Amino acid sequence: MTITESERGIQDPSEYRGVRRIDHAPQIFNNQPARYYLMWLLLPAIILLAGISLYPFVWLIYMSLHEVQLAPGKSDLWAGFDNFSRLFSDKNFARGWLTLFKYSALCLSVEISLGVLVAVILNNSRLEKLFITIFLMPMMMAPVVAGFLYMFLYNGTFGWYFWLLRSLGVLDGGSILGNKFWAMFGVVATDVWQWTPLIALITLAGLKRVPQEQVEANMVDGAGPVRNFFSVALPNLYPFLLIAILLRFMDNFRFIDTILIMTGGGPANATKILPTYLFDVSFKFFELGRGAAIAFTLLLLTILLGLVLTKIFEDPTRKIKSNGGG
Amino acid sequence: MASREIVRYKSPARTMFSALVILFLIVFFVWTVLPLAIMLISSFKDLLDAFKLPAEGDWGGIGVMFDFEPTGAHYVELFTEKNFGEYMRNSLIASLGSAVVSVFLGSMAAYALSRAEFRGKRDLLFWIISTRMAPVVAVMVPLYVIFRSSGLVGTLPGLILAYTTFNLPFAIWILKGFFDNVPYAIEEAALCDGANRWQALRMIMPLVAPGVGAFIVLCVLFGWNDFLFASIIGSGGAKTLPVATAELVQPVKIQWGSIMAAGVITTVPMMFLGLLIRRYLVTGLTMGAVRE
Repeated sequence: MTITESERGIQDPSEYRGVRRIDHAPQIFNNQPARYYLMWLLLPAIILLAGISLYPFVWLIYMSLHEVQLAPGKSDLWAGFDNFSRLFSDKNFARGWLTLFKYSALCLSVEISLGVLVAVILNNSRLEKLFITIFLMPMMMAPVVAGFLYMFLYNGTFGWYFWLLRSLGVLDGGSILGNKFWAMFGVVATDVWQWTPLIALITLAGLKRVPQEQVEANMVDGAGPVRNFFSVALPNLYPFLLIAILLRFMDNFRFIDTILIMTGGGPANATKILPTYLFDVSFKFFELGRGAAIAFTLLLLTILLGLVLTKIFEDPTRKIKSNGGG
Repeated sequence: MASREIVRYKSPARTMFSALVILFLIVFFVWTVLPLAIMLISSFKDLLDAFKLPAEGDWGGIGVMFDFEPTGAHYVELFTEKNFGEYMRNSLIASLGSAVVSVFLGSMAAYALSRAEFRGKRDLLFWIISTRMAPVVAVMVPLYVIFRSSGLVGTLPGLILAYTTFNLPFAIWILKGFFDNVPYAIEEAALCDGANRWQALRMIMPLVAPGVGAFIVLCVLFGWNDFLFASIIGSGGAKTLPVATAELVQPVKIQWGSIMAAGVITTVPMMFLGLLIRRYLVTGLTMGAVRE
């Protein structure tokens, strides 16, 4: 049965931050046969999704409480919360989180500043179309391939980027990915190369939504382009940038292909972000119980991020979809 | 546009500024394109040419990059000796299979979610999006154990199911946004004209068809580019291109020429697909939050 706005305790529907409602009541969907019809449309997907995500999640919890035996015939041993309590004394676990945040912070700060800068320069210029096409190319590349490509470029004997850095006198060590200090920048640069374009495209979409009247009013008041950017464009861009930051942060620990390929987490754990550590624990040492416990903590962060994201997605006051339409 | 109508007086500072802007654009352009160009060029170089590098600080020596005899040997080797034809087929079946399943079931569910109001809908939507956001490694730990016991490891159906874990929630979520933008009036009118519900749904399909098509392509892209699932769940019988590429790394020597060629093979089809769905790409990659 339908819950009316008054039952929800909200007087003005436009104030309601929840599920998007369409202005006129959908009478045709508000009767019993229609409900059954929609339910049958919904069910196959939900059942399949439950099978491949909810069921594994239950398994994950089970595994995190057991010492999982992979050899056939052996049954799992009850471990209680041992897998979790061991995490507290696990130095690599804490380091994994720290490295993850460091990695993400580096990636995001560079990507956001570069992406916004490029977008602002390109907006409404003749080069916009050309650059948008070029932007697509790194994004379409499989992260593994990007990892190999950068490994190739960083190679100490024939890598062009290695040569460039040496020639510029920036690099004095003999290797990029083998150096504790440089390896982090090496993997960050790969991520920056692949995903700055996405930030630029998001920003470009956002810049198109900046109300032109505000820009004009500001110019009439004597503001220059720089002032204009900070006082008019940037505030209008915030929701877009927020989305960009959240999505990129999410992907930073969703995908670890590049790091796995390039450094495998080394040297000396310098690039071992938590998901990489989880990969090692689960699929190198095959300690699946402990892996499940680590995975569980990662999923908690995901759920937290998900809550924030859904809030943004559902907020009807946000400017992303509403202005101008698509 | 207003900004163009305002008269700008030329000043040295302004000229400097625009020169800097242009320089920045050039650098950014080179930074984005150069790795791709090097990959393409290196895939046509034989071992000796690939190792040629000017001396440190010898800026004039950059021309060495283009000083080579192009050879297609790496490509030939990949397809004849290294079985890349089969891996490409695996990649295609796994990613396309998952994309079709996801978008088919996803569009039905998305339509229902867009049209129905029920208690717990928000929680359902939240569950769907968080499934999509879960880190691949974290999902894989239990999935691996389950698939192992049901014999799905190393098979294409297993890989299709694995890809569906991220493609299905993506499809539901993003297509719901599409159906939300289709007014009820069309279905109402169709029902009034005596169509049944299924026919009414078919009436609005042409409106969402371009989006549905684009998101099939995006789902293919996500599956095609996946490495983690493919390396663990697909290991053995269902080797895909990214995994096969990674296996070209051998302890003794890394076959860079072949790896670059494999990279080109993996990347080029996806670039074309990306260009094809350019209009929907940003929407897709931001989970529908940003519309161009």
